[in-house]
Amino acid sequence: MTPLPIDIRLKVNGEPVERAVEPRRSLVDFLRHDLGLTGTHVGCEQGVCGMCTVLFDGEPIKSCIMLAAQADGAEITTIEALNGEDLHPAQRAFKEAHGLQCGYCTPAFVLTTVALRERGLRLERDELKEELAGVLCRCTGYQNILTAVESYLADD
Amino acid sequence: MLERYQGNARLLAGGQSLVPLLNMRLMQPEAVIDINRIPGLDGVREDNGWVRIGALARYSAIEWSPVVGSRLPLLSEIVRYIGDRHVRTRGTIGGSLAHADPTGEIALAALALDATIVVRGPSGTREVAAREFFLGPYFTVLEPAEMVVEVRFPHHQMVTAFAEHARRHGDFCVISVAALGEPAGDGGWKTVRLAVGGASHRPFVAEAASAVLSNTALEPDAIAAAGAACVDAADPTDDIRASADYRAHLLPIYVRRVLGEMKTRRRQGAT
Repeated sequence: MTPLPIDIRLKVNGEPVERAVEPRRSLVDFLRHDLGLTGTHVGCEQGVCGMCTVLFDGEPIKSCIMLAAQADGAEITTIEALNGEDLHPAQRAFKEAHGLQCGYCTPAFVLTTVALRERGLRLERDELKEELAGVLCRCTGYQNILTAVESYLADD
Repeated sequence: MLERYQGNARLLAGGQSLVPLLNMRLMQPEAVIDINRIPGLDGVREDNGWVRIGALARYSAIEWSPVVGSRLPLLSEIVRYIGDRHVRTRGTIGGSLAHADPTGEIALAALALDATIVVRGPSGTREVAAREFFLGPYFTVLEPAEMVVEVRFPHHQMVTAFAEHARRHGDFCVISVAALGEPAGDGGWKTVRLAVGGASHRPFVAEAASAVLSNTALEPDAIAAAGAACVDAADPTDDIRASADYRAHLLPIYVRRVLGEMKTRRRQGAT
């Protein structure tokens, strides 16, 4: 028996979205396949690597271990929300600090950093590491990512 | 709804354990019931000598709660070892207890802090002591149609410490030990309680080791005896993260470390 689709209404990057989704649809697949927002990446699909990070009501979550149906009523922010004429200040910080190489993890780090800034905390480098530990990078060795995040958070 | 599916439905709280299991097809329930919209289940409040935490309280909320910080510093400390910020944004205290991973940090905290778990089902509400809640790996006293609704922690005036060994930051622990001690006036300790995770099919309070340590000054001999008693009480298993032998090897080392940390914290005046 195929379960009936579930109607969901949510906001994605400020835009209202209404869809019927399969109950088993993960949020990341919904964003990528149904909405075409491919800036959110897929890695391990078990909540470890953090590639699929999006903001759920402003807080970073892993969208591969959340069902699309759970996003009913929520505000989802993906990396596409930062699109504009110029780079977003967080993106600029990553560019200037050379905080990326292949770029696969970058949307996840940038969104995690944007959410961190919203919390308005002044964090030491060790504390930043803790806040960023949910996203893995296999290229950079993290030092330039940390430098980028520090510079974005310190930028008034 | 749980009754309708007769044990073949799973409750979805934070989803940080359940959804990976669904993704890997390790669990294939007939139905997944999202409880996130049930109002009033996510509070953290003080009530007459207790801290009452709703089953849907997220780890981040517990981590940042001033009430938990002042009344249950051990819980505040332990919760930081769970996953990472993204996981702590979603994961819930009730979900963790019901999931009953033998390496779970929340289960260990509930045991160490002598919590009471409030469970609701079709026949009403009952209170279960954390010590009686866990039966085995991923196995609790919850009936198929019951759910955890609240966890109650008694206030305490103990000095506490926690240590765990994990293969990598944020991973499931290989072994974890929590210690609580009530200082005695003479520089010694009245009651000491040790709780151990990852060393058996469920986390447990090490009764014999706790008895060995109570009314001592935590001298090296007492600590060594407690470590040995913990190993006796444990029943470690081999898994992908560590062999049973390695777990048994680590256990007394971590017992020594947490007790050392507890003594240091007392000297520094932290409670």
